[in-house]
Amino acid sequence: MNEIAIKVDQVSKIFGGLTAVNQVNLEIPQKTIYSIIGPNGAGKTTLFNCISGFYVPEKGKILYFGQEIQGLSTDLIASVGISRTYQNIRLFSNLTALENIMIGLHPKFRSNWVDAIVHSPRYLREDKETKQEAIRLLNFVGLAGYGDYLAFNLPYGVQRRLEIGRALANQPRILLLDEPTAGMNMQETQSTTEFIKKLRDDLGITIILIEHDMQVVMGISDRISVLDYGTKIAEGNAAEVQSNPKVIEAYLGPGGAALAEKFQKQRRSNVKSH
Amino acid sequence: MNRQEFQKFSQHGLVFAIIMIFLVLIDFQTMFATVISKILGTNVLRGGLPEVQFMVIFLVLYSLWMGWFIARKEENKSRRIIMTLVASLSAGVVVGLFGLILNSLIQSGTDVRRYLAALSPESMKLFLLNLEGLGPLALLGVFTVSGLLGSVLSIILQSPSVSKWPKTIKTGISSTWQKITGSLPPFIRKNAKFLAYLVLGIVIIVLPTRWGSYNNFVTGLVGLYIILGIGLNIIVGLSGQLVLGFAAFFAMGAYSMAILNAPLPHGLMWGFWPALLVGVLMAVVAAILLGLPMMRLRGDYLAIVTLGFGEIIRILLKSDLLSNFSGGPRGIQDIKGPTIFGFPFNNDVQFTYLIIAGVILSIFVYKRLENSRTGRAWLAIKEDAIAARATGINVQRNKLLALCIGAAFAGLAGAFFAARNQFTGPNDHTLMVSINILSIVIVGGMNSIPGIILGAFTLKGLPEILREMENYRLLVFGGLLVFMMIARPDGLWPAKRPQLEKKIKPDTRDGDSPGKGDKNE
Amino acid sequence: MQSKETSTPQIKRSKLPKQIRQGFGIIVLLLILWRLYLVFGVEQEYTVDIWARLLISGLVIGGVYSLIAIGYTLVYGILRMINFAHGEVMMVGTFAGYLVLEATKSITVPTPDNTLLSFSNAYPIISVILAFAIGMLIAATTGYFLEKIAYRPLRKAPRLIPLISAIGASIFLQNFAQLLFSPQTRDYVNPDIISRGAGWTMMINDSQVILPYTGVLTFVLSILLMIGLYTMIKKTKLGKAMRSVAMDKQTAALMGIDVNVIISRTFIISGALAGAAGVMWGLHNGLVYYFVGFLPGIKAFTAAVMGGIGNIPGAMLGGMLLGLMESLGPTALGISYQLKDVISFVILIVILIFRPNGILGEALSEEKV
Repeated sequence: MNEIAIKVDQVSKIFGGLTAVNQVNLEIPQKTIYSIIGPNGAGKTTLFNCISGFYVPEKGKILYFGQEIQGLSTDLIASVGISRTYQNIRLFSNLTALENIMIGLHPKFRSNWVDAIVHSPRYLREDKETKQEAIRLLNFVGLAGYGDYLAFNLPYGVQRRLEIGRALANQPRILLLDEPTAGMNMQETQSTTEFIKKLRDDLGITIILIEHDMQVVMGISDRISVLDYGTKIAEGNAAEVQSNPKVIEAYLGPGGAALAEKFQKQRRSNVKSH
Repeated sequence: MNRQEFQKFSQHGLVFAIIMIFLVLIDFQTMFATVISKILGTNVLRGGLPEVQFMVIFLVLYSLWMGWFIARKEENKSRRIIMTLVASLSAGVVVGLFGLILNSLIQSGTDVRRYLAALSPESMKLFLLNLEGLGPLALLGVFTVSGLLGSVLSIILQSPSVSKWPKTIKTGISSTWQKITGSLPPFIRKNAKFLAYLVLGIVIIVLPTRWGSYNNFVTGLVGLYIILGIGLNIIVGLSGQLVLGFAAFFAMGAYSMAILNAPLPHGLMWGFWPALLVGVLMAVVAAILLGLPMMRLRGDYLAIVTLGFGEIIRILLKSDLLSNFSGGPRGIQDIKGPTIFGFPFNNDVQFTYLIIAGVILSIFVYKRLENSRTGRAWLAIKEDAIAARATGINVQRNKLLALCIGAAFAGLAGAFFAARNQFTGPNDHTLMVSINILSIVIVGGMNSIPGIILGAFTLKGLPEILREMENYRLLVFGGLLVFMMIARPDGLWPAKRPQLEKKIKPDTRDGDSPGKGDKNE
Repeated sequence: MQSKETSTPQIKRSKLPKQIRQGFGIIVLLLILWRLYLVFGVEQEYTVDIWARLLISGLVIGGVYSLIAIGYTLVYGILRMINFAHGEVMMVGTFAGYLVLEATKSITVPTPDNTLLSFSNAYPIISVILAFAIGMLIAATTGYFLEKIAYRPLRKAPRLIPLISAIGASIFLQNFAQLLFSPQTRDYVNPDIISRGAGWTMMINDSQVILPYTGVLTFVLSILLMIGLYTMIKKTKLGKAMRSVAMDKQTAALMGIDVNVIISRTFIISGALAGAAGVMWGLHNGLVYYFVGFLPGIKAFTAAVMGGIGNIPGAMLGGMLLGLMESLGPTALGISYQLKDVISFVILIVILIFRPNGILGEALSEEKV
C-alpha cells in the first residue's frame, strides 16, 4: 500500500458568501494517477489552488507526506516538490521555450547574483548544468528543436507540453495537471495521455489530474473523485464512478440517472439485436 | 466627391490649422525658422528674428507635411489631389483668418503679452511674412499651394520607382560594407572584435585629453545617465517594477558624498572613495527601506508610491528641518574630488575617465546579471509573477534584490555627480530627474544597452547642441514620450533577443520537431 | 532523471516580512501618538480659534481634492490606468477661469448712477458662473482630447506604456501652459463681493475667525457637484453604462454599449469636475501658474487611493479626509507647515502598505491570482 502523498482533510474554501470548496476529504496515494472531475464550477481548480498555495483554506488541513502545507507560500510549496500546470496556460510568453524550462530549474540550483557577476566556479558549473538539463527536459517532453522559439509563438499543443516540461524541471513528487488535454485533438490527447502514464510509471510521480475528457479520465486514472458544488459526491475507480447515479445527475441534472439508465437499456437492446 | 468626404477632409485640414495656431501661440514657428536659417548658414543674432524667407520655408515645409500626411492613405490618385485641395484650402482659410486677427491686433497696437507671453508684435509680424494686411492672404496661398504640393509629393513617394529607394539604398550600403570587410586582410577579420575594442579603448583614452572641457563635461553627464539608465533598467526592464522615484537613490549617493566630503556642514572630510562606498550603501539601505513594505504592490501603485518617496526625500532635504544636517535649500558646496594614492584626480579629463570606467563596470555587471540564474528569475517575475512564484522563485526577495542593485548604480552615479559638480542641492534631485532616467530607458530601448546609450545621448547630449530649442525642450520631450509610446514602444534601439525569434508555421503538427536531431546542443 | 526519493525536507515558514511590516506600523503609530500627546496634552498652545481656522481651510481644500479625486477614480475604474495628466486638466480649468475673470474685469459697463463698473463687479454672479462654465468646458475638452490622442491608441498595451504616455502628456501640458502664459504666477482677480479673505466673521474664543465667501462657495459647490455626479452614476443610463464598462468592457460591448463613447464621456466628466476644482482653487487660493496642478493632482490621487480606488464615494470621502489631515496635521503633530506636503505622501505610502483596499474600496492594488 502506497504512502499517502497528499491528504486533503476537511478543507473548505469560502469566498465571501460563496463556499467554493466544502469540507472535502481526499487521500491521494503516492505514485498514482488521481483524477478530480466534476461539472464546471465544482471547485476543482479552487482545490488545486489550495494545494499549490494560491489560496489559504478557511478550514481544514492539507498534508504532504504527513506535513501540513496549507497556507504556505507557493514558492515554498514548489520547492518541496509540488508542481502544477494551469487551465489557461501560464508560460512566460516573451521568453523562449528553453528559457521557460531553465526557469523551472531555478529551485534546483543555488548560484546567486554575486556568483553571476564574478563568474564563480559554482556559477560556471551550474550554468552549464542548467543548459544541459533544460535541453534534456525539452527532449524528454518531445519538444527537441523548439528551444529557441518564443513561447507565445508556439502552437497550442506544444505550449501545453512545455508547461509540463517546466513543471517537471524541479523533479517534483507531485504534479498537478489542470485540464492538460483541453483544446487538443484526438491524436494530441492520446500522446499526452501516454505521456502522463509514462510520468507515473517511469518517474514515480504522483499525478493529480483535473480533466473533462472522460475517455482520458476513465482510461488512465487509478482513482477518481467527483466534486459538485464544492462537495465530494463520489469516489472510486472508473467503473464505480461511472455507474454512480449521483455522478450522473451532477452532469446531466436531476432525473439524469433515470435518463442514463434508459439510454443504457436502449443501447444494450440495440447491441443485442445486431 | 460627396459631402461626407468633403467634411472629413476639411476636418483634417482644420486639425493641422489648429496645430499651427497653437504653435504660433507659443512662438514655436519663430524658433523653427531660426533653426532653419542656422542650418542654411545665416546666423541669427541673439534675441533677433530670422529673416522672412526662412519663415516662408518653415510654412512651406509644414504645409508639405500636412499635404503628404493627409493624402498618403488615399487610393485613387486624382481624388487624392482633390481631397488634399479641400483640406489645404480649409487649413489655409483658418490660418488666414487667424492671421487677420493677428493683423488687427498689430494694427490696434494692443500688447497681448500680458496673457499670451510669446506673442510679441515682432513675431506676429514675422508670421504674417512682414506683409501687414496682405499677410493673411499670403498664408492662405502658402498653405493651399504647399498642401497641394504635399499630396503630389505623396504620390511621388509612393510611386513604384521611388518607393524602392529605401531598399536599394539598404542593399547598396550592405553590399559596400561586405566588399570593404571582404577586402580586409584575414588577420583583421579574425580578430575584428578585439581590434574594435582596442580602437575604442584608444579613442576613450585619447579623446578626452583633446576635445576640451566642455565636451568632457557633456560626455561625463551622458556617462552618468548611462549608469543611471542601466540601474533603472535592472529594476524596470529586468524585474518589471515601475519605479518613478529613482532620483531618491541618486540623492542618497550624492548627499552621502556631499556630507562626508565637504567642509560644511559637518567638517567631515573622509575622502572620495570612502564617501563613494557610503553613498552606494546608503542607496541600498534606502532601497531596502522602500522596498520591503512595497513588494506586494501592483505596477502603477508601486510607481506612485516611489514617486511619493522621491518627493518626500526631496522635500525633507529642502526643508529647514534638516538643514543643519543636509544644507537645506542651498545644498552643500565645496565637495572635494577623488584622489588616487594621494594625488588629486579631479580635473575634467580625469573625471571623464572615472565616469567611463563606471559605465564599463555597469555594462559588465548588467550583462553578467542578465544572462544568469538571477536574471532569468527577474524576467520570469516580470512576465508572470504568480507563475514565477509557483515555479519556486522567491519573488519578494528577487524583486528587492533588483531594487537594491539598481539603487546601488544610482548611488554610484550620485556620488560621482556630487564630486564632479563640487556641489549638490535639492534641485538636483527632482521628479524630472527620475522621469528623465525613465525616458532614457524606455525611449532608448528597454533591456538594450545600445538603446540606453542612445537614449542618454539624445536626452542629455542633444539639448546641449540644439541651444535654440532650450525653451521648448520639455515640451518636445513630453510630446516625444507620447509619440514614442504610440509609434515605437520598444524604443529607438530595441533589445535584440540573444536567441532567434522564429515563428512557427501554423500547420506544424504537435509533437513533431521542426527538424531531426537535437538542434539545441 | 528520477523523482526525488529522499525524504521530504522540513518545511520552514518565514514570518519576517510580515513582522517587519507590523513592527514598522507600531513604531509609526507610537510616534504619532507621542506627538499628538505633546501638542495637545503638554504644550496646548493652540486655541480653539486656530483649530477653527484650520478646520475651515481643511474642509475647503478637501472639497477641491474630492472633485479631482473623483476624476482619478472614474478613469481608473474604467481603464485601470492612472491618469497622470489629470492635475494638468485642473490647471487648464484654472487658467480658463482666470482668463474669463480677466475679460469680465476689463469690460466696463455703465451703471444707473452713471459710474463705470467692470462687468465682473456689476454682475458678479454671472461672471463667476461664466468662469466656472468656461473653466469646466475647456477642462472637459482637454480631458477628451487627452484620451483621444494619448490614451486611446494604447488601450491594449501593457500597463507601463500608457503610464509613460500619461507622464509625457502631463509634461507636455505643463510646458505648453508655461510657454503660453509665461512662468509667472498670476493672481486671480475675484469680483469685489467675493474677494479673497472677505467673509462672515465669527467670534470664537475672543478671536475673529473668518468664514470666507470663497471657501463657502467652494465647499457648497463641491458638495453639489458630488451629489450630482453620484446621482448621475446611480440613476442615469450613462451612469449605468459607465459602471458596466468599468466592470467588464467586453460584456458591455456585447450588450450594445459603445465602449469608446463611454470612455470619452468619462474623461469629459472627470475633466469637467477637475475644471471646476481648478476655478475654485483660483478663486480661493488666488494663484494660477503652469505648475499649479501637480501637487493637487498627486494629493487627489492619494485621496482616491485612501478612499478605495474605483470607488466614487470613497474618492469623495478620501478627498475630504485628506484635506482635513493636511490642514490640521502639521499643527496637530507640532511640525513645520513646510512639511504639509510630506504628510500627504506619507499617508499615501502608509495606506498602500497597511490598507491597500482603502477605507471603502476593493483590493485593486495587489496582485490577483
